[in-house]
Amino acid sequence: MDMTLNDEQQAFRDLAREFLDREAIPHRTQWDRDEQVDLAILPQMAEIGFFGLTIPEEYGGLGGDYLTYVLGMEELGRADSALRGIVSVSNGLFGKSVLGFGTPAQKQEWLPQIASGRALGCFGLTEPDTGSDAGNLTSRARKDGDDYVINGQKLFITNGTWAKVALVFARTSDPETQPGPRGVSAFLVPTDTPGFEAREIKGKLGLRGQATAELFLSDVRVPASALLGEEGQGFKIAMTTLDKGRVSVAAGCVGIVQGCLEESVAYATSRTQFGKPLAGFQLVQELISDMSVDADAARLLVWRCADLIDRGEPFGTAASKAKLFASEAAVRAANNAIQVYGGAGYVDEYPAQKYLRDARVMTLYEGTSQIQKLLIGRAETGVNAFV
Amino acid sequence: MDETELRERVDALLAEHPPASTQRMDFLHARFDAGLAWVHFPEGLGGLGLPRSLQTVAEKALYKAGAPDNDPRRIGIGLGMAAPTILAFGTDEQKQRYLKKLWCGEEVWCQLFSEPGAGSDLAGLATRAVLDGDTWIVNGQKVWTSSAHLADRAIMLARTDPDQPKHAGLSYFIVDMHDPGVEVRPLRQITGEAEFNEVFLTDVRILDSDRLGDVGEGWKVANATLSNERVAIGGGAFPREFGMVMNVAKAWRERPDLRTPETHERLLRGWIDTEVARITATRLRQKLAAGVPGPEGSAMKLSFARINQQLSALDVDLRGDEGLRYESWEMRRPTHVDFFGRDAGFRYLRAKGNSIEGGTSEVLRNVVAERILGLPTEHRVDKDVAWKDLPR
Repeated sequence: MDMTLNDEQQAFRDLAREFLDREAIPHRTQWDRDEQVDLAILPQMAEIGFFGLTIPEEYGGLGGDYLTYVLGMEELGRADSALRGIVSVSNGLFGKSVLGFGTPAQKQEWLPQIASGRALGCFGLTEPDTGSDAGNLTSRARKDGDDYVINGQKLFITNGTWAKVALVFARTSDPETQPGPRGVSAFLVPTDTPGFEAREIKGKLGLRGQATAELFLSDVRVPASALLGEEGQGFKIAMTTLDKGRVSVAAGCVGIVQGCLEESVAYATSRTQFGKPLAGFQLVQELISDMSVDADAARLLVWRCADLIDRGEPFGTAASKAKLFASEAAVRAANNAIQVYGGAGYVDEYPAQKYLRDARVMTLYEGTSQIQKLLIGRAETGVNAFV
Repeated sequence: MDETELRERVDALLAEHPPASTQRMDFLHARFDAGLAWVHFPEGLGGLGLPRSLQTVAEKALYKAGAPDNDPRRIGIGLGMAAPTILAFGTDEQKQRYLKKLWCGEEVWCQLFSEPGAGSDLAGLATRAVLDGDTWIVNGQKVWTSSAHLADRAIMLARTDPDQPKHAGLSYFIVDMHDPGVEVRPLRQITGEAEFNEVFLTDVRILDSDRLGDVGEGWKVANATLSNERVAIGGGAFPREFGMVMNVAKAWRERPDLRTPETHERLLRGWIDTEVARITATRLRQKLAAGVPGPEGSAMKLSFARINQQLSALDVDLRGDEGLRYESWEMRRPTHVDFFGRDAGFRYLRAKGNSIEGGTSEVLRNVVAERILGLPTEHRVDKDVAWKDLPR
């Protein structure tokens, strides 16, 4: 087993880190306070290639393998999870859905804009009453001549207010006769379509730099060419994309753990108490060594997923394991980092508290830790414990 | 004086200064002068030299009569830390000058101990006080100062002799927070609020008559202050299912839609941990009452920090999407921590401070290891070296 990165992967990681150290890390505290990253960084990120990773060059992407993609997500998570979320959703959830299920025309229309960062995409799956239970969503898309007319409401939609296009999941079946996942379809909806409204949700615990929105769709009319994949294929598209999304979240979490580790080591070796560096205390070394083991373990789980994806193997359960472990590790590492920093860890000028607030949602979105356990349990036992 | 006589004294105060027709501050002055402010203090200083336990008799009788109080939450540091220290180490003149205004709330006090470079290692602090005639000139920086922006006075530790080992070179002062060399800046924390401040001291002038205790005796005086803090924290008895678990259990009972098997298990574990900690606290108080103080308070604080963090995390998980909403990031300067009036996210973030403030969990583990379990002490390299020669 060869776990060395090739020259291209290494070069991308170095480029990404150098860029983010210079352009993101010095500003992340202020973005967090402002509840918005400086959007001027997005075109620069596109230039580095963040929005074009794994998108083929014919669509203006950077190409590259999935391992390069997770390296990018780790670097973004290490720098600022708000940026990671913007990329994960636009390139990952939106872009990969189009790449995997779009017609040539749909790919031509949207992927070059996404890959170049000229447009952001968002992913309209979650609804107020269906978080973990996406198969029972209630937004409706009714056929009207050659068009579809969509009505419904979506919640916690990253990029919602900034996106040029939304992938909206809505039910094309009659909920009375055909409830559940098989009646769901996916639509590519430009956000300037009449009847489409996005309202930003302010006051989040973490990921404050990225826009999170509620979407309201009132008689939004789209042509049949907006349908992604086939009617009734929406849930499958969502789940396939979310499997990869989990790898992306997990990779971002590796970055959080790595960031917490690096910040903690820097602080513990530079601050002196009782006549010796903090790093000279055994209990502080315990906090740091736990982070170090978690960083390695989480990264290896993520790289295994990338390897499976690059070889075209099934990776769903591996993705659940990586996402479960890495997200829980991110929360642990951020707690440890606060503890290493002591009082400074509690102050908003230092990065530890932001890592913690950003990490907190990682165990919840794109499948809670509890959902991941049910997926892993089902794979291990063959018994479905979903109710 | 016994309880009956104390009650008569309260009645006499109320008859002479009826709360309904007396200005609040006039009443507080009269109460202080009658020795009913803190009955365990000496006569002439707001007390009657009575056992501390009789204080509640006076408080209850005054409360029942609708008498105004001194808003103790606003002046907690003065009452809990400055006053007992002034009483123990102050000169007669200092006691006369400071205690009445302190108790009545006419002067708010804060505490200038911690520094950016001296947190757990408080005795390593670097703020310098240099004597110039009869005046000390103070330069340095303090941090984690609650109420500094409201305070009129402060108790402060400063280094007066850097050639001594760190514990021996400290002295203890009373600072006028209105001195032009005092600058207070809010310290915004993980919750978005600023409960605390940074305090910058530039050529602050303190008369030698505002020193508490002898020069070089600052550590001894500070320990008296801090042990009073611990008495205050270790105070009242807790009811069953109190604090953080109360809140989560309430949500569990009222919101069946939130329940899952996993959160149920975590709630029960937290409930049991809380109950164990509560019973341990009761035992600790009984030992203190019997005159057997011990380091068990450190173990208690360690437990409560862990329980608070686990249960506040459960609180967020239990509430799902709602748990991730945060009501406001506006920078506020609250006068006290309102754990239960805020949302779950606030409690989750605020509880992160519990394993840091007032002794980190790592320091407390050392205390438990050394003083309860009798394990060998942490190797200390800094105890007998002149402070100026220590690495910083």
